[in-house]
Amino acid sequence: MKKEDHGKEEQGRRYKYGMVIDLDKCTGCGTCMVACAAENNVSVRPDQSDKERTITWMRLYKISNGKSFPHTEISYFPRPCMHCDHHPPCVSVCVSTATKLDFNTGIVSQIYTRCIGCRYCQAACPYGVRYFNWWDTYFPKDKGLDRYLSPEVSPRMRGVVEKCSFCHHRLMRAKNQAYAEGRREIEEKEYTTACAEACPVQAITFGDLNNPDHKVSKLIKHPFTFRLLERLGTEPKVYYRSSRDWVRKLGDNFLPGEYTPVVNQTWMEEEWSTKPGRDEF
Amino acid sequence: MELNRRNFIKFLVGGVVGIQATPLPWKFTDDVAIWTQNWPWVPDLAKGEFSEAKSVCNLCPGGCGISVRKVDDRAIKIDGRTDYPMNPGGICPVGAGGLQLLYDETLRFTGPMKRVGMRGKGEFVRIPWDEAFQILGDRISGLRRKGVPEQVAAIDGNPKGTTMSVLIDRFMQAVGSPNYVRTSSIEDTYRLGNFLMQGSESTMAYDLENSDYVLSFGCGLLEGWGAPGRVMNAWGLWHEGHPDKRTTIAQVESRASNTASKADYWVAPVPGTEGALALGLAHVIIKEGLCDERFLNDHTFGFEDWDSFEGRLHSGFKTMVLKNYSPQKVAEITGVERETIVSLAKHFAGAKAPVAIYGKGKDGQNGSLYEFMAVHSLNALVGSINRAGGVLLPDALPLSPLPPVKTDAIASEGLRGPRLDAAGTDHYPFAHSLINNFADAVVSKSKSPIDTLLVFSANPAFTVPDGGNFRDALKRIPFVVSFSPYRDDTAHMADLILPDCTFLEKREDVVWPVGLQYPFYALTTPVVSPVYDTRNAGDALMELANAVDKTVGGAFPWEDYEAVVKVRAKGLFEAGGGRMTYEPSNPVWKQTEGKGAKPGYGDFDEMWDNLLAGGFWYRPVNVKGGSLFNTPSGRFEFFSKKIAKTIESASSQSTMETTLKQMGISVGEDEACMPHYEAAASEAGRSEQYPLRMMPYEMINLASGWIPSPPFLYKTIFDHQLLKNESFAAINPVTAAEYQLKEGDRVAVKSPVGKVTVRINLFEGAMPGIVYLPLGFGHTAYDEFIKGKGVNPNSIVLAGKDPLSGGPVWWNTPVRLIKV
Repeated sequence: MKKEDHGKEEQGRRYKYGMVIDLDKCTGCGTCMVACAAENNVSVRPDQSDKERTITWMRLYKISNGKSFPHTEISYFPRPCMHCDHHPPCVSVCVSTATKLDFNTGIVSQIYTRCIGCRYCQAACPYGVRYFNWWDTYFPKDKGLDRYLSPEVSPRMRGVVEKCSFCHHRLMRAKNQAYAEGRREIEEKEYTTACAEACPVQAITFGDLNNPDHKVSKLIKHPFTFRLLERLGTEPKVYYRSSRDWVRKLGDNFLPGEYTPVVNQTWMEEEWSTKPGRDEF
Repeated sequence: MELNRRNFIKFLVGGVVGIQATPLPWKFTDDVAIWTQNWPWVPDLAKGEFSEAKSVCNLCPGGCGISVRKVDDRAIKIDGRTDYPMNPGGICPVGAGGLQLLYDETLRFTGPMKRVGMRGKGEFVRIPWDEAFQILGDRISGLRRKGVPEQVAAIDGNPKGTTMSVLIDRFMQAVGSPNYVRTSSIEDTYRLGNFLMQGSESTMAYDLENSDYVLSFGCGLLEGWGAPGRVMNAWGLWHEGHPDKRTTIAQVESRASNTASKADYWVAPVPGTEGALALGLAHVIIKEGLCDERFLNDHTFGFEDWDSFEGRLHSGFKTMVLKNYSPQKVAEITGVERETIVSLAKHFAGAKAPVAIYGKGKDGQNGSLYEFMAVHSLNALVGSINRAGGVLLPDALPLSPLPPVKTDAIASEGLRGPRLDAAGTDHYPFAHSLINNFADAVVSKSKSPIDTLLVFSANPAFTVPDGGNFRDALKRIPFVVSFSPYRDDTAHMADLILPDCTFLEKREDVVWPVGLQYPFYALTTPVVSPVYDTRNAGDALMELANAVDKTVGGAFPWEDYEAVVKVRAKGLFEAGGGRMTYEPSNPVWKQTEGKGAKPGYGDFDEMWDNLLAGGFWYRPVNVKGGSLFNTPSGRFEFFSKKIAKTIESASSQSTMETTLKQMGISVGEDEACMPHYEAAASEAGRSEQYPLRMMPYEMINLASGWIPSPPFLYKTIFDHQLLKNESFAAINPVTAAEYQLKEGDRVAVKSPVGKVTVRINLFEGAMPGIVYLPLGFGHTAYDEFIKGKGVNPNSIVLAGKDPLSGGPVWWNTPVRLIKV
């Protein structure tokens, strides 16, 4: 606590960037995954079907309610790094200080040149957001694939761990722009992640959770909002939202009967309640 | 020295100590350290000035707005555009990965090429452009001199109405061949259905954003149907706000697709019986008195029984539906419960602005004409035509027509000949083009009736659902020319390549995307200069025309392709009423004609400059007054007079029965003119030998048409869809149990025309008895990222003929499973 107080004095206001993903809107199209990979110079190898070796900072998990035909439903969890706000498990195990929670932004960083590839963080992360580079990055020059690489994100070498950075370079870009224009603060729309920008149904909202004017800080008050494995106490800054009980139930390891639907909570003078799943005739 | 224990240890210790004295261990340690740092190549990122270029994505006919981030001359990222009406901000996964299609050299042709070695090996050698034009020009002019211009054929995959498609058609006319064949799409079904029921040949204008109840018959709303950017944006809008006030989405589909899962209701009829379900709903709506009587009385024809001029009594739509499509009977046909049919009909008719839309997955394949008509008749029943939130009736896009082609004697003679695909004949009276028939016609003759085939923006060897028939046709055609920028399956089998530029390197027009409710036009911007020695296919075609001979060349008096685009776009200016700006607070579907935003341009040059800068043109659509329909009766036709007339004139040669049979129609004369259910089309070829059905399914994160999937997309494919090089068939666990199959088992899926080997994915959301194969895998060409991954379901499709329209029935192949 002392450290945090010190930080506040020194840095002024604290930002806490986070996102809310509306799973009712999410269509499972995978644009977030592609936009993320394209933005962050994530390499594509000829075989992408071994999901333990394929690098996907943003990854879609397909879930099913498990009911038989024709009551089956599928849904998706888009999963970036959760950027845990409270003792991120990866940070506490890193022996080389390659990953760290930036107090001022809430972003959990990853510094590739410091990483020694021990993969402790990968083992510690409860969300599986970290990926190890088993091979060198694959952008063969003779195939011309290096030509779409962005100079804003450094490509990774073999033997290091990488993960979602909340498009940190976009924050830098926005800040530089603001400074150049003589501003100290950046606007809500000036910094957003590639996945949130590309989402064709606007299911992903990104912003500062500490700023009451930002849309995200309003959305997280909604009773349908939840986080993955919330009870681990890591305070993820990625929130999900769904009106369907079976989807919400899969957000944590509930014991039988432990999950309770959200019923008739009043919020903004409107009545809300979750429902088991898709409507039936 | 005796080798005992003591000496052995002495030797060992001595050796270890001795080695320490040599440089060896230090050398090895050093080597290991160097080796671990020995990166083959980590890219060196070229820096430069950042900029953003506005353009339009042309990878599918959807036409989303894109903003391309650049560093100096390199494009590094494609994002959506917030100042664009169709997809304010978002894009689809294919568009997001579009740069790989620009920069992946092994995926593209780097210049004009000529085949060397065996046909189909895909070995080419670079030639100069002049030589390419010379080879092809000589060949075509040779055929013209011989008086057989009809032996030239063109396959065109460009969306209908685009300048490129108009030019290819023009080229074929100038050459003198009637064999201008288009690849099929849901547009064909829409235009045909729209023509018969509403008298317009435009696309269907579904006002989805304003609707409060969307009943989708098979449209893959989340799989890429229509203009994906627009539909998914609408999906986001539908889910905003209070749950009770939101738009309800009911999906009719046999598989728990993304759309079916995410919709509010899911109804699962047997594939091919969607038409029967729609008519079952019509039965309930009519019987319960939920129709819009005013619309039916004022604007429709053929609902009630009617007398013709000769005094013959014809039964109307109402009588037919009440007689043939009771919920009980429809339940038996479709497998949907009776109560569900009744409730769905009541929900639909009870909504304020319901709309029933028809599709088959994405829009890359045709649908069934009678099914479309059955679904569309629901809109008429509840009065959702010419009403906000229903189906609008916009005028056609007012592009200026090009001056008619002056054909010479050879061309006129050639054009008089019959089309090879028999489109427009008595068998398929309303079809404009039937690519399946084209392949059949080539394969069925001992000598190919086509000498030279030109392929534009299409990959028929992969996309035509015909059990590999088109592939065989390609092998028989002596000379195949591909204008594709990509090393696709068809180009792989070609003799000559005249590569087009990709969508980021050229000027191309986007013309009214599928299903959009307002006329829309936009231009792509050459965001980067051509990376390789490629030419816009429009320019190449005009150059080719000059290389053929003077008459053909004379049909193209324009300076370049962009000049043609400009000539056509002038019509937009002359028609007036257009707008070129977009405000997120005032989206197009809220606007009305004549009010609100200013056009944003004064004269045509200003409008054109605006378009060149990545601009767009649209005209908001009003609810019309006065006469609405351009049909023979001037009304919405439940009973199509055009079909009646066609059947009558065709039957003058033979009996009514044989005429109907030739068209694939199994019902009587009156019913044939109305939406009805064709049992035969959905039951084709099932037998004890082939007890299951195979249905291809589409995904938004896998391109299944002409455009290859950017390799990025393979990250989004699940390992129960593709593992290593094997794709999976999704089947219901109940069906799997009958065949004693478990997850991951290898099976051969055998149809009467072919066999593919896949692995099994047990999926509860699959309808029992149906084998679902993903569409988009199984390429035989392209590069290491795409080639040889999975199987192509099109290669085992046994396609029946859709009654009346003649399109392939690709959703119902009989198959059996053989455990491998």
